[in-house]
Amino acid sequence: MSPTMTPVIDIQGVEKTYNRRIKALRGVDLQVGEGEIFGLLGPNGAGKSTLVKIMTTVIHASKCQGTVLGKKVGDKAALRDIGYLPEHHRFPPYLTGRQVLEYFGAMSGINRKDRKARASELLELVGMESWHKDKLGSYSKGMRQRVGLAQALMNDPQLVILDEPTDGVDPSGRRDIRNILTQLKDEGRTIFLNSHLLSELEMVCDRVAIMVHGLVSTQGTIEELTADQSGFEIATNAPIDQSLLSQISTLPQIPPILDAKDPTRMTFQTDNAAAVQPAIDALRKQSIIIESAGFKRPSLEDLFMQVVDTNQGDKPGAISGAKGANS
Amino acid sequence: MILTQTKALFIDAYRELNAKKLFWLTLGLNLLVVVLYASLGINDKGVTLLHWNFESRFFNTALVSKELFYTLQFTQWGVPIWLTWATAILALISTAGIIPEMVSGGAIEPVLSKPIGRSRLFLTKYMTGLLFVALQVLIFTLGCILVMGIRGGAWNFNLLLAVPIVLAFFSYLYAFCAFVGLVTKSTIAALLLTILFWLAIWIVNTGDQMLIMQREGSIIQVEDRQLDIDKQIEFADKRIEQLREQGKPVPGDEGNPLPEGYEDIQEAVNPALRMSRSRLEEAKDSEITWTAWAGRIFTLKTILPKTQDTVRLLERHLITDEDMAKLMGFDAQSQPQNNSENDPAFADPRAAERSAEIMRKRSITWVLGTSFLYEFLLLGLCCVIFVRRDF
Repeated sequence: MSPTMTPVIDIQGVEKTYNRRIKALRGVDLQVGEGEIFGLLGPNGAGKSTLVKIMTTVIHASKCQGTVLGKKVGDKAALRDIGYLPEHHRFPPYLTGRQVLEYFGAMSGINRKDRKARASELLELVGMESWHKDKLGSYSKGMRQRVGLAQALMNDPQLVILDEPTDGVDPSGRRDIRNILTQLKDEGRTIFLNSHLLSELEMVCDRVAIMVHGLVSTQGTIEELTADQSGFEIATNAPIDQSLLSQISTLPQIPPILDAKDPTRMTFQTDNAAAVQPAIDALRKQSIIIESAGFKRPSLEDLFMQVVDTNQGDKPGAISGAKGANS
Repeated sequence: MILTQTKALFIDAYRELNAKKLFWLTLGLNLLVVVLYASLGINDKGVTLLHWNFESRFFNTALVSKELFYTLQFTQWGVPIWLTWATAILALISTAGIIPEMVSGGAIEPVLSKPIGRSRLFLTKYMTGLLFVALQVLIFTLGCILVMGIRGGAWNFNLLLAVPIVLAFFSYLYAFCAFVGLVTKSTIAALLLTILFWLAIWIVNTGDQMLIMQREGSIIQVEDRQLDIDKQIEFADKRIEQLREQGKPVPGDEGNPLPEGYEDIQEAVNPALRMSRSRLEEAKDSEITWTAWAGRIFTLKTILPKTQDTVRLLERHLITDEDMAKLMGFDAQSQPQNNSENDPAFADPRAAERSAEIMRKRSITWVLGTSFLYEFLLLGLCCVIFVRRDF
């Protein structure tokens, strides 16, 4: 988060222990700035949903300091400006799409006239205006997800917390949801996304945090997090032997890093193409064919896997059951 | 905001009930019972059902007014049998799922993430469960008022008292149902355990009535035996006087010792007195035992909700003491007189009369106060659980 940004979420040392033995969260520190799309990633059981539920008062933290929208975590008053779409939500099947929106709008304290206007607006936004009179029981998973997203926006929230919003949604629906998120960001809202779909997050998030075993392992912009591993990659048709690598390393340039798993690839930690030209010349002199050359940044998935692998040894025994502890 | 949220919860509850076929089924059955109520009538010969006549010595317009007849039908079977058994069971089946469904995974999170306090949410949801019964009882009672007005010629809007009374009765059970539903998150468990709880209350209530009748029967027996002894003593005293006047020896007088085993002169003169005194002691022992048991069950009943006593409040309000005395008189006349010594309570109509009087005279504060205290404590416990729980 940029130091100039107003923090919408600013929490420190969040801990949650179930039944006095299962530690779901072990001291989470997190800051989300106003107007950001923030992605929270993590493997199953990492504590992502627990953290989200603490922020929305569904779960009580064992220990927690900090604020959400300037109010102490757990303060119901903050919920007036928070929209929340839970994972595996189950809205009343006997209600129509419009009735769901109006019901949750009323629960947020919105008056009748505004509720009706807002519901029509949001049904159109999520592409459900044609089905607004049908009961939820007849909706597909994707349609329920769209209505769920609209429900989260009923109170015109400053902070929108979405737990797996694209779960069960088809590719075109996902694109629609991404567009909605971008639109919400443009309106100045802060969006907190909790998702397994790393590619989705990568497309929309300004900043991400990766949670492993109840702790935030790393957080920042995707560029910041992948900066160490980004660079100019050259792929050749044959493995590069040690003598050639030594020769290239002596050239007046940034030293190459040979891919340990694939010796036909080497990376230079620079985004300057001119800096790698001597290496390309050296390879060409040896009649090695250059199959590809270009700037490469690790994907969010690469980063995620790396963080998870790094933290594998950090796994405390009691945490493995945390996901199901509250179910 | 509070009003908007409460209204939304009630509208949602109405929609939920509306979606359940059982709501309409119960309503249909209620209307059917109202039709049955309308088909009953009373004339100078007896009771009528549609075009059939059933002659009765006790139920005819010479003894019971049309208004009292319809009021009696309403208070004797309309409310205690139909509303507080049949409708209550259907209502429990329909509403037992409200709390478990509210707290189930996926349904509770969107609601808890709204700016509404958990206690208020729980209590409002609990109140919405009572909406089912309120609607059903209201419709049934309005139907009965209409029947009484048209057929009985009396527009008795006091019958509307059935709505809060049946609602109070149902709320005792529903508080327990909500508690089980909250703890177990299971509709089946909530329903079955509530029915078991209801059965337990019914057993305690029945036990209370039986023990009061037994106690009153044994008190009457003591009184009767005491009277009998007094008469025998009087007889013995007269006999002693006669013997002395005739100059005959009187046992116990000087020079004429009491025969062995006799307590006093009266016993010696009237040997039946000895047996009567012994039977009086037996009756007193029996009275002590029944009084102790009646006291114990009364204590147990005090901490439990008083379902039957609550429903009886309606009868108390709608049927005057005078009418009740008249009806009790009919009952006593209609019961065969049996002076069996083995079952004094059930044999003696006075015991039934006295126990009915005791039940009728129980204070409203005790009946409603202790029942609402139970409900208040149980709902308080529910709120504590609901507020502290993680979902």
